[in-house]
Amino acid sequence: MTQLKTLLSRQKWLAAAIATIVLAALLSVMSPVFLTFSNFQSVLVQASVTAIMAIGMTYIILSGGIDISMGAILFFTSALFAQLMLDTSSYPLAFAAAISCATLLGALNGALVIWFRMSPLITTLATYSIYRGMAIHLTGAQNIPVPREMGFLGNGRILNIPVPIILLLIIFVIGIYLLNKTRFGVFVRALGNSQRSAEETNLPIGKVTITAYAIGGFVTGIAALVLLARVGGLQSGIGIGIEFTVIAAVILGGTKLTGGSGTIVGSVIGAVFLVLIDNGLNLMNASPYIYDIVRGGVLLAAVVVDRLSAYRAEQSLRSQRSARLRETAQA
Amino acid sequence: MFRSLTSAARLYPAIPVIVVLLVSFSTISPYFLNAGNVEAMLAANSVVLIAAVGMTLVFLTGGIDLSISTVISASAVLSGLVMAATDNVALGVLTAMGVGAGFGAANGVLIGIFGLTPFITTMATQLIARGIAFVMSQGVAVRGTPFWVMDFGFWVWLGIPAVTWIAFGVVLIGIAALTLTTWGREVYLVGSNRNSARFTGINVPQIEFSVYFLSGLLGGLAGFISIANLGNAIPGVGDTLLLIIIGAVVLGGTAMEGGEGSVLRTLLGVALLSILINGLNLIGIPFYDQLIVQGVLIFVGTWLAMKLSRRRS
Repeated sequence: MTQLKTLLSRQKWLAAAIATIVLAALLSVMSPVFLTFSNFQSVLVQASVTAIMAIGMTYIILSGGIDISMGAILFFTSALFAQLMLDTSSYPLAFAAAISCATLLGALNGALVIWFRMSPLITTLATYSIYRGMAIHLTGAQNIPVPREMGFLGNGRILNIPVPIILLLIIFVIGIYLLNKTRFGVFVRALGNSQRSAEETNLPIGKVTITAYAIGGFVTGIAALVLLARVGGLQSGIGIGIEFTVIAAVILGGTKLTGGSGTIVGSVIGAVFLVLIDNGLNLMNASPYIYDIVRGGVLLAAVVVDRLSAYRAEQSLRSQRSARLRETAQA
Repeated sequence: MFRSLTSAARLYPAIPVIVVLLVSFSTISPYFLNAGNVEAMLAANSVVLIAAVGMTLVFLTGGIDLSISTVISASAVLSGLVMAATDNVALGVLTAMGVGAGFGAANGVLIGIFGLTPFITTMATQLIARGIAFVMSQGVAVRGTPFWVMDFGFWVWLGIPAVTWIAFGVVLIGIAALTLTTWGREVYLVGSNRNSARFTGINVPQIEFSVYFLSGLLGGLAGFISIANLGNAIPGVGDTLLLIIIGAVVLGGTAMEGGEGSVLRTLLGVALLSILINGLNLIGIPFYDQLIVQGVLIFVGTWLAMKLSRRRS
């Protein structure tokens, strides 16, 4: 039992995984359809956009930053892609422009944070407004449909696996590799753990930060194309508030908001968990407006539980230490 | 003379920008300084001003209250429903303030006493407040606002709308509380150095609780004022306000890191943003280009304010 507890406190994503499995079990009791393979796929497809973005957000949060503008980057990329398809109907051009612009906008966030030494929250709040304005300026505030074959990215299948799931898997694998097997990954965590020691050990802070934000932008670009394909066209509401869902997924997955500690697996599980909650509410025929309340409540519960376990760990450490002190005093 | 001017600009970085905006907008558009336009601008921004005072208190301790925007919505909707059912204005005011105080107290307990991160905690309560606003109103404007409340939105005294007088009252109380009381000094100390605040015997959790509580309370008041302004309680009223509220506070020169800033600066920040938005509207700049201007201004303004305050210290 104590072993399990230490394991849970070390590998925080495990707690999220257990919660997800429990929720899934509950849902399968509620509805016989739930535990089918096709529903499993549809849950993953629904979670794909949030999960893909959450993988990028994990890098940013791990490095000690935050990106509030992700929803705006999502919207800008969708707008750029739809507009370019409308004007030139050239897929290579639209894809290349959309993905590289998304990466660039993300990198710009990182660069602004580094160059101006401003709080990431204020910086990305400002760029949120700028990117969103630029996107609507670009399209003249119009809804633009995308060609039908675009739907392949959202609803198509390769080897009978939905394309969004394949994209998610690829990004997931690359994301885990980058974070755990490369020097860059080590630097990201180190930077988030302590900005000061990162400075003192001469880490390339600028490069690491800009790369983390650029990764966030890149995956947001991919998520934008998937979302655009699933929705079927550009709509003015795309991306509003999605950054908060993404941050919630990352936090639910056990990543610390202050940076330094967290996993990509956790963030993806967090995204799936949020979709399962939506599914459950859907099964209960709940009003769509209740979703926000439940999400907020779950997020709050997660951070309270996390805080309580940290507090208990602190207490037990303290009592162990005082016991040891007493022993040495007696000896 | 020049020296005192530059030091004033350092303390109140918004003033030179406001002067430039006022001069340029009034030369471009003859309607800008028209009494009707000024009144409309003042009334429309009273909600933001009241909420921004609450956000300032939270910022001064180094925290953030993301929930204030949707607490405005939730308190407006619940207050609107109570007034529609009872036709009792006093009960409506009490409901709005009570809902705001409830959310503020919840944030305060979770952040101040349990020690949770302000960002996530208020992000969660933001979702909850938004959900309550939409569930209770079924997503549409609440009808049946008492006539008195709608009429109150149009009251003008000495050329200034009554709702704006209320906001000015909140600003005055805020200034007085921060500069004249021990509590005010403790708020600054908690924000500038938490540890030394604790060592000097300040009850840090209590101070943190108080700023989130007041922020919620002011969100509730702002919610009620939004009913008077718009004539109805709208569930989405707060959704777009968060950027403007935070932008106004940081543009005024209150630092997000805590310990640096004042309610007077926030008043100037709100004035700056509302003059900008109103002026851009008057000269016919579309809303999306306004978003770009706002974003650039928030970024550059915050950066300048930070630079100036660093040089001062």
